[in-house]
Amino acid sequence: MKKLIIKIGLYFFLLLLCLEVLVRVFHLAKDAPTRYVDDYQVEKWRPNQSGYSVTGNRRQNFSEFHINKFGFNSYREFKATKENFEVALVGDSFIEGFHQNYYNSIGKKIENRIDTISVYEYGYAGYDMADQLHLISQYKDQFKYIDIVVLGLKYENDLFRDKYEVEKSRMSLESPFNRALKHCKLLVYTKSIGALKPITDFVANLKNFRKEKNRNVSPKEVDLDKEVETRIDNLNSLINLYGFNKAKFCFLLDETNTPPKFLDYLKEKNYKYIGIGEKLKESRKNTTLIYDMHWNNNGRSIVADEIVDYIKNENIQLVK
Amino acid sequence: MLFNSIDFAIFLPIVFILYWIVFPKKIRNQNILILIASYFFYGLWDWRFLFLILASTLVDFFVGIYIDRNSDNAKRKKLWLWCSVIFNLSLLGFFKYYNFFIDSFIDMFQLFGYSIKSTWTLRIILPVGISFYTFQTMSYSLDIYYKRLKPTRNFLNFATFVSFFPQLVAGPIERASNLLKQIENKRVFNYDQIVSGLKLILWGLFKKLVIADALAPIVDDIFANYASYPGSTLILGVTLFSFQVYGDFSGYTDIAIGTAKLFGVELMSNFKFPNFSRNVAEYWQRWHISLSTWFRHYIYIPLGGSRVSKLISIRNITIVFLVSGFWHGANWTFIFWGAFHAVAFIPVFLLGRNSIYKNSVVAQNTVLPSIKEFFQVLLTFGIVTFSRIFFRSESITDSFKFIKQICTNFAFEPYTHPMGYRMIDYYVLVIIFVIYEYMIRKDERNPFKFKSKIVRFIIYTLVIFLMLLFYDDGVNRSFIYFQF
Repeated sequence: MKKLIIKIGLYFFLLLLCLEVLVRVFHLAKDAPTRYVDDYQVEKWRPNQSGYSVTGNRRQNFSEFHINKFGFNSYREFKATKENFEVALVGDSFIEGFHQNYYNSIGKKIENRIDTISVYEYGYAGYDMADQLHLISQYKDQFKYIDIVVLGLKYENDLFRDKYEVEKSRMSLESPFNRALKHCKLLVYTKSIGALKPITDFVANLKNFRKEKNRNVSPKEVDLDKEVETRIDNLNSLINLYGFNKAKFCFLLDETNTPPKFLDYLKEKNYKYIGIGEKLKESRKNTTLIYDMHWNNNGRSIVADEIVDYIKNENIQLVK
Repeated sequence: MLFNSIDFAIFLPIVFILYWIVFPKKIRNQNILILIASYFFYGLWDWRFLFLILASTLVDFFVGIYIDRNSDNAKRKKLWLWCSVIFNLSLLGFFKYYNFFIDSFIDMFQLFGYSIKSTWTLRIILPVGISFYTFQTMSYSLDIYYKRLKPTRNFLNFATFVSFFPQLVAGPIERASNLLKQIENKRVFNYDQIVSGLKLILWGLFKKLVIADALAPIVDDIFANYASYPGSTLILGVTLFSFQVYGDFSGYTDIAIGTAKLFGVELMSNFKFPNFSRNVAEYWQRWHISLSTWFRHYIYIPLGGSRVSKLISIRNITIVFLVSGFWHGANWTFIFWGAFHAVAFIPVFLLGRNSIYKNSVVAQNTVLPSIKEFFQVLLTFGIVTFSRIFFRSESITDSFKFIKQICTNFAFEPYTHPMGYRMIDYYVLVIIFVIYEYMIRKDERNPFKFKSKIVRFIIYTLVIFLMLLFYDDGVNRSFIYFQF
């Protein structure tokens, strides 16, 4: 028995080591850039980092990212000037675009379609409206030169807060323990493909053993009207706190997922928005990645086209 | 509890440690532990069906004793045997075939223009493994009846034999002469046996997680949408299904045999690389061996086997294959599948070639098969794969439509994975799997039979690496043969 236990332990260790090497050799796991909170209390990536983002098993999606000097994934540096026509895309992981090569981002696609403009992408995974408006208010010197600001708004997981605070749960990912775990590429890979899910589910089930008994209690019915009102209140609170330039700012949202009451409110108050839901749904080709809900190249092209249409329809002089 | 679940990954080491460290000295304690573990293992699916196992165990335990007591009285002996057969077949009949018979009865009337409303069909859940353990307990009574075995007087041993968890839900269908004897005797901790068991578990998991589970979404998609695919895609679908079902069932069996080894028990082999069979007869000597031999011992031979006229033998073969098809499931598709195999087997039997490959394997003494062998293997694989259309289709109408679609709409179109994955990965995977299985074709109990420790270690690493590469958390991880 002793021999068996020792050998199993030894083989287990050696296998883990070899698998780690294989995962690294084939670059199956994504690289994890480090995040930080800057002097303005804005959460972003540490500048000047590069690496590869991997989605799905067998590298179904493999793309390069590059964090610029300002702390966002982009092929260009942000130097807004009075002279040039600039567009800012502010949003979450869909704008951040770790699922695409950084030189083939939504911003780059827009620039390819209108060659006289520069697009700055302020995308960061998990950003909600509070993060976005806070960022703009903190860097108003930069944003004052930007001609159009497109703000990503995902109604289903946005507008839950009425003021900005640094998201501690996200920053806890930077703890020494979590950073150390990210160095184990085998762990990162197995987690990303869902192979660790049965284990985490099992542990969670054990923890929630008592709660499970009460699971059959029917959830309270959600009052949709009230929910929309709360979201509108939060939006107003954020706008009051951080400001909102209706002439320059517009929302980028999926109108098919957003309650009509919320859309009516935006229209009533003259908030502009670009609806991308219909176009994404109309597409014959898939618009998201296989292993991930983020837009694939086709999805990003559709979104870029919609933004281009919006810019052109705004009747702004694109060359100053 | 599935072999490929986290529950089992926790359950198995606990039982193993209790078995060898806490209760290593007394067989009785070890058997109690195995019995409790087995009932726990099965009860996690549905504890109510534990009573069925218990009932089947009780009936055959006492029937065995009474058959033995009445060994001089042929009539009484037979009567007791019938008690076992009727009881076990009634369990099967009710839980597995009741609705099938009612529906077939209604369909038959509708064929003649009578419309009957089905009010007799019941909502019955099929107890997992019922076809396996009822056949196992029946074989015990039959062996005692045919005086091949003496009954046990120890209920604990017998209950452990019936419910032994590694093979409870999908076989191998063990004979008491093999398994019960081991349960009655002291098992000793054997390092080599345990290591060999662990290797088999690893190989079984590979076949299940990599081959079967990776191919499942493709097969499901093709069979669900066969009407919209060209013939080439349908051929691809049924070919991949052949590998899927083999990976699934033989993978399960390897894990079962490997797990039994961890407890010092040797189960019979159930698969001997059937994909390399040179004719259909050889295929049945290599595929689901425990069931094939069960039918051979308890149906074919009692009917006269091949020691009767050719015509009667053909009848016997047909009966065995039809029953085998029906055993698999309460659906005409399985009966057709059985009938198809009977039709494929009979010419081999008439030519006297049904046992010529019994003790040899393809390319027995050479590295590569001869051209003749190569085409024999290809033809057999083709026949068996074709029969899988019946095995996999939802209904007999679907089977024939599937075949018609292959014949009438034969065009070549590259197939795209339903999830958008690269298909080339799967083709390469299957080819590597076939080549590897060919390399180890002489010993199904030792899938990593390489002298060099380094080579073995590299293969272990690659096997686990492939499991990670082809892991798909969206796949239904249940085993195909659990439905039987």
